[in-house]
Amino acid sequence: MSEPARSGVFGGTARRAEALGARLPPLLVAAQRVATTVAQGVHGRRRVGQGDSFWQYRPFVAGDARARIDGRASAKTDRAYVRETEWEAAQTVFLWRDASPSMDWRSGAAVPFKRERAELLLLALAALLLRGGERVRLIGGPPRVRGGRGALENLAESLADIPAGTGMPPEVPLPRHARIVLVGDFLSPLDSIRTAVGAMAAVPAQGHLLQVLDPAEALLPFSGRVRFQGLEAEHDEVVPRVEGIRDGYEKALARQLSGISALCTAAGWSFGVHRTDHPPEAALLGLFSALSQ
Amino acid sequence: MIFATPWLLLALAALPLLWWLLRVTPPSARVQRFPAIRLLEGLRAAERTASRTPWWLLALRLLAAALIVVGLAGPVLDAAGGLAGSGPLLLVVDDGWAAAPDWAARTQVVQGVLDQLERSGRPASLLLTARNEADQAPRPTLPLPAAELRTRVAALRPKAWAPDRAAAAAALQADGVKAGGVTYIADGLAAEGDVAFGQALAAVGPVQELRPDPVAIRVMRTPKPEADRLVAHVSQLAQPAELMLAVLAQTGDGRTLARAEAVVPAGATGAEVAVPLPPELRNAISRLVLEGPSSAAGVALLDEGSRRRPVGMLALEQGSDTPLIGELFYVSRALGPTSELRSGTLEALLARDISVIVLADVPLEGEQARTLAQWVDKGGLLLRFAGPRMADEKGGDNGADTKRAAGPDPLLPVKLLAGDRQLGGALSWSQPQRLARFGAASPFAGLAVPDEVTVTRQVLAEPSAQTASRTWAALADGTPLVTAAARGAGRVVLFHVTANADWSNLPLSGLFVDMLRRLVDLSVGVAGAADDTVLGPAEALDGFGALVPPPPAATGITATELAAASAMKGGVSPRHPAGLYGPESGRRALNLGPSLPELAVSAPVPGAVVASLQGTVRERAIGPLLLTAALGLLALDLVLSSWLRGLLRRPSLRAGATAAAILLLATPAAAADLPALTTRLAYVVTGDATVDGVSRSGLLGLSAYVNRRTAASLSDPAAVVPGQDDLSFYPLLYWPITADAAPDPRAIAALNDFTSRGGIILIDTRSSGSGEGFAPGTDAALRRITAGLAVPPLTPLTGEHVLARSFYLLQDFPGRFTGETVWVQRDQDRSNDSVSPVIIGGNDWAGAWAVDGQGRNPYTTIPGGTRQRTLAYRFGVNLVMYALTGNYKGDQVHVPAILERLGQ
Repeated sequence: MSEPARSGVFGGTARRAEALGARLPPLLVAAQRVATTVAQGVHGRRRVGQGDSFWQYRPFVAGDARARIDGRASAKTDRAYVRETEWEAAQTVFLWRDASPSMDWRSGAAVPFKRERAELLLLALAALLLRGGERVRLIGGPPRVRGGRGALENLAESLADIPAGTGMPPEVPLPRHARIVLVGDFLSPLDSIRTAVGAMAAVPAQGHLLQVLDPAEALLPFSGRVRFQGLEAEHDEVVPRVEGIRDGYEKALARQLSGISALCTAAGWSFGVHRTDHPPEAALLGLFSALSQ
Repeated sequence: MIFATPWLLLALAALPLLWWLLRVTPPSARVQRFPAIRLLEGLRAAERTASRTPWWLLALRLLAAALIVVGLAGPVLDAAGGLAGSGPLLLVVDDGWAAAPDWAARTQVVQGVLDQLERSGRPASLLLTARNEADQAPRPTLPLPAAELRTRVAALRPKAWAPDRAAAAAALQADGVKAGGVTYIADGLAAEGDVAFGQALAAVGPVQELRPDPVAIRVMRTPKPEADRLVAHVSQLAQPAELMLAVLAQTGDGRTLARAEAVVPAGATGAEVAVPLPPELRNAISRLVLEGPSSAAGVALLDEGSRRRPVGMLALEQGSDTPLIGELFYVSRALGPTSELRSGTLEALLARDISVIVLADVPLEGEQARTLAQWVDKGGLLLRFAGPRMADEKGGDNGADTKRAAGPDPLLPVKLLAGDRQLGGALSWSQPQRLARFGAASPFAGLAVPDEVTVTRQVLAEPSAQTASRTWAALADGTPLVTAAARGAGRVVLFHVTANADWSNLPLSGLFVDMLRRLVDLSVGVAGAADDTVLGPAEALDGFGALVPPPPAATGITATELAAASAMKGGVSPRHPAGLYGPESGRRALNLGPSLPELAVSAPVPGAVVASLQGTVRERAIGPLLLTAALGLLALDLVLSSWLRGLLRRPSLRAGATAAAILLLATPAAAADLPALTTRLAYVVTGDATVDGVSRSGLLGLSAYVNRRTAASLSDPAAVVPGQDDLSFYPLLYWPITADAAPDPRAIAALNDFTSRGGIILIDTRSSGSGEGFAPGTDAALRRITAGLAVPPLTPLTGEHVLARSFYLLQDFPGRFTGETVWVQRDQDRSNDSVSPVIIGGNDWAGAWAVDGQGRNPYTTIPGGTRQRTLAYRFGVNLVMYALTGNYKGDQVHVPAILERLGQ
């Protein structure tokens, strides 16, 4: 009697796990690969502090605990040495990517979905940060700060669990001086972006905003009579002749970009634009260097 | 053009409205999902060009709409001028024998009339003027809807007897038929009761008469048998131009054994056609048929009557049938089993029809000789045997002055020398003489001559220039044994020995039986005697002249009545239809032709509107056509609209369209390249669809066999026209000869070029050996059309030739037929590697190779057997190998010579 029910429960879980498994590995692998190419050009903190890796031996001075004398180094000479490790101060970086329906779009088979690219960038950044010993947390995800080995897989898993959302990050309590990275298409009105960014910057927190755009959104390559349909319950827009409005569209897009750029600058945040037909490494490098300042 | 429902055309008035609607409605836009739609808000282009439908698309849609409206209105092309009158119609159809030749046209016209009736909703009654198969007089049906009449009309067949218009007129008057109009489809021939019939029709209502123009009907009267031919009289209506006609002599299974032509001069009402028939073929002929449209009157069935050959025997002495020594004993024993023998006085014999009279050493004189001479002149065969009396009479020196006064015996084929010649007697040096082989021109040709037959005494012919040509059999020393001469329509044949074993032992041998039977077969048959035996109908002719089971009303007929019926006007009726009567062994024929009166054109029905039957074109409803066209236009509109909306701009669609276009362009090019890409056999197109079909299926069968059995890989055969097609791709060309083939210089030049470059042509007359007579005239045609062909000196194909060794080891080379020599190039010519450029035969190889769609062999081999078919295929394989490898296997032929050389 209970056989079908049990198999139904297990079946559902198994299906979810399978879907996740099918989606995660390539994304993780791609994220690791992108992160590797970027990590070569970035260096550590070069300061003595709490950490695992060796930094230097210094002569024992009075006041040091005896337990800190390094036996192997001291035995070579008459003096006693203390082993010091490099300072590894972990910071939590809050990550968010836009999961609204407008991200589930691409203009052709040649370019990836915007959401795919956004998640790739997010995970690659997380991989870099985790490798650097930082901790990461997803805005809207489980309120647990992740760090260390296995954190990336957990992160990817909980990334899939985050609900679609509205296109702007939800309001969550942030620690002061937190670092924030927001990835999305940011096509919503400037006011809503300003509200979201302003709320975060008021914590205060420092952040970075990356706008992911499809090439078709940047260029509007359509022609003829076209009925445009939005992906987020907007009204349809019938354009009799798309060629005729291309210039106007470019101006409107430029206004949107300069608006976001201005409000980021006002909040002390940095802002970048990434097109899905460009390689993700450049955008990742931009993000990473913005974070390491 | 008329419309079935013209009021529907009012819908055309709505077209401008449609035009306006289409014009103001812009084409629907292509749908594009776009996330950045918010940025598009408030952007408006200055121009709105594409918002209106293009004018050509508008025109296309309007045209489609107009086509739909017009198509639904039911337009009918070539509509006849309408039927006579209104209300119920009387449809009268002549379905006698004269309607058969153009029956198809008549049914078309009737169907056309029914179309009109159906459209106007008029009922009609149908009156057929010939009596039906159950011998019921014609009667009009009740008025029926056209749809119901259609099934009846579809079942109509012409009858094999004349229409009974008098009875039809009587039925019309008796029933008091009244109708709104009459449509009469006439056969155009005058018959009894025409006047009454015309009046009866005119009384019913306004008449429209459709009659053939001109009336081209032919009737074959009774064929008269003559010595070596059948003479058929064909009568027709006088025509303003000279016409050809042809008569085919057919066997019971429908094969045509002979064809004779005659010209009917302008204005003449008939012609005699003589069908030449060798005696061997005459017995196989079962009917004469007029070539052209078939009808019962164009068929003359030949019965056993013309094949009966009674033999009369006359001897001078009593006791001529005494066993073993009687003068006519051996003759009666030889002919008794196969012929009807009569004996008696000459007067008694000649009182009845008789084919052959045998005289055993009876000298002829005076009145008797004259009577016999007249009989021979009329076609009799007189068979005489020599004997002591004949020898004595020729001696003439024993005081028989009275006989001399009567002059020499006129009924001898050759002059005889006095006395007889004795061979091998006690006092003679000479030996009894054997018989020589029979010459090819002799009727005995082909009979085996036994060694033990010897002649000891004979009468001698006086040598003259004609002796050789009149000799049918001779002794080994060349003296004639059997001589014959034509006299009038008949023949006189003389055996130079007695009919008993006194002078030779020939009558004791089986050869004697064969010789006598062949002689009797040479004679002209006579009709059987009339008597009162009732002959049951066995088979009857239908309206088209085919033999079918007799109709239900057919009853038996006595032989006397049958003879009378075939000469009497109206003798052929549903009770006694034309056909075969009597038991299997003695069928008697009743033919329609002789019973018909002289042909005459009938007068039109008084007051009728006369139209030509041939000029009537069946009306065509083009509504469905227009609707189909409209659908096509709408489909085009769909494609064009999609294109306008950009739906066709996707790369995959475009690639698909491009691929389709390339495919279309590439197809002819690929087809043109095909012959060069694969090896294939080819046949010459003769223009005769049947022969070409056999050639094609034959080469298909051979190609399949070759592919199965050998390493050669052949594709489907090709049909080529020499002089038009490039022959250089084909190793082997099969060329069946048809009797009407005409030489074509361009074709001959192309074939010469083909053979000079190593091609091989297999020429097949399809008429030799066991199949002789299947394709008459092809030998002459072969000579005619190969006049310009570079045929090398030929030699018979033997088992020593490479062709007999190239794959299988063959000794003979049968096709569908066998037994005739196949000719190839003589081996002396070393050019072209001794490969024979032409192979000529007549064995109908394609017929033997042919396979149909189910893989069966549709043409039986003659004389038959699986072995013959297998050998035919093997010959084909050898031929293909020969064509592909040349004299490669020639070494095998020379193996004995090579071995001999090696042994030295």
